Amino acid sequence: MKVNVIKNVLQANDIIAAKNRKVFKEAGLLGINIISSPGSGKTTLLEKTIPTLMPEQKSIVLVGDLETTRDADRVAPYAEEVVQINTGMSCHLYANQIAESLTELELNKADFLFIENVGNMVCPGEFDLGENVKVILLSIPEGDDKVAKYPTIFRAADMVLLTKIDLLGVLNFDLDRVMEDLRKLNENVPVIKMSSLAGEGMEEWLGWLKEQRNKSIGNQAKFITPE
Amino acid sequence: MHEMSIASALMDQIMETAKLNNLVKVEEVEIQAGLLKQVVPDVMQAAFEAVISGTIVEGARLKIIEVKAEARCLSCGQVFEPKVDNFLCSVCNKADVEIIKGNEIILKSLTGKNLEEEDKNES
Repeated sequence: MKVNVIKNVLQANDIIAAKNRKVFKEAGLLGINIISSPGSGKTTLLEKTIPTLMPEQKSIVLVGDLETTRDADRVAPYAEEVVQINTGMSCHLYANQIAESLTELELNKADFLFIENVGNMVCPGEFDLGENVKVILLSIPEGDDKVAKYPTIFRAADMVLLTKIDLLGVLNFDLDRVMEDLRKLNENVPVIKMSSLAGEGMEEWLGWLKEQRNKSIGNQAKFITPE
Repeated sequence: MHEMSIASALMDQIMETAKLNNLVKVEEVEIQAGLLKQVVPDVMQAAFEAVISGTIVEGARLKIIEVKAEARCLSCGQVFEPKVDNFLCSVCNKADVEIIKGNEIILKSLTGKNLEEEDKNES
């Protein structure tokens, strides 16, 4: 016998993701899914971002890695709470891993929930975690061909951070090529040239984060925007 | 290698559907894969074989129907077929679109045997 089904295969993940999104909203949190290849500066970005947001705004971090707690250890001194999710063989996080982590946390203590996904430019793009925004990092040492090579993830981006921008003069990286490839995918996505270590682009990045939080949480905002 | 995650999610739905319809053996699984999901058929096949091993689905044929992408330009309303690396509208040359088709993976049908059919087969 033939049974006709018509069911979204990733439905189970999507349903949990929608619940996570609701939990974020109720707790007054902006959920940020940070995606990039390994080594493009996700953890360094968090190490610099979280203390700069403080004391007005506080952060919770969920970190996905195949193994070790090294990234969680690095952000622990700054974040209100950190959960390391070891994914074992899985090359991305699932919505249910986020949902499980949320049950252990005091969500009302923070304004931002950063999810550092497993370093990978392909699979994390296919799995909604319930985030409000997807932030994609591309570091200068990775090369200027990556937007064209991994278009799906860049098309899904709400923000593209060009990290390690201080290496632009040292390495052969064609910025125009990246911008051109990006505009073929996503007309409106903002791009910030950043160096987490040198501080370049940090103010613009923080401004964007706060704006996104206001947009998504509305008048439930916990923090008061500084005069 | 997101095919492995897709295959395990697919397997959950196959088992759920099989149970609901009292299937004791699944012989064919038909899925629709939107081109924007970038499912590589050979990799999907290998992942499928890995997850069905030792289950009532073992040995089943996986039929993948590829679905072309379709997008609507949010500036001028033109409907066109985008490429994975190019979403520029064919009329106004802007990449500001709504995806209509091609961004989904759907379990379309299962073919198999229920207990009665399986018994008939054996006798």
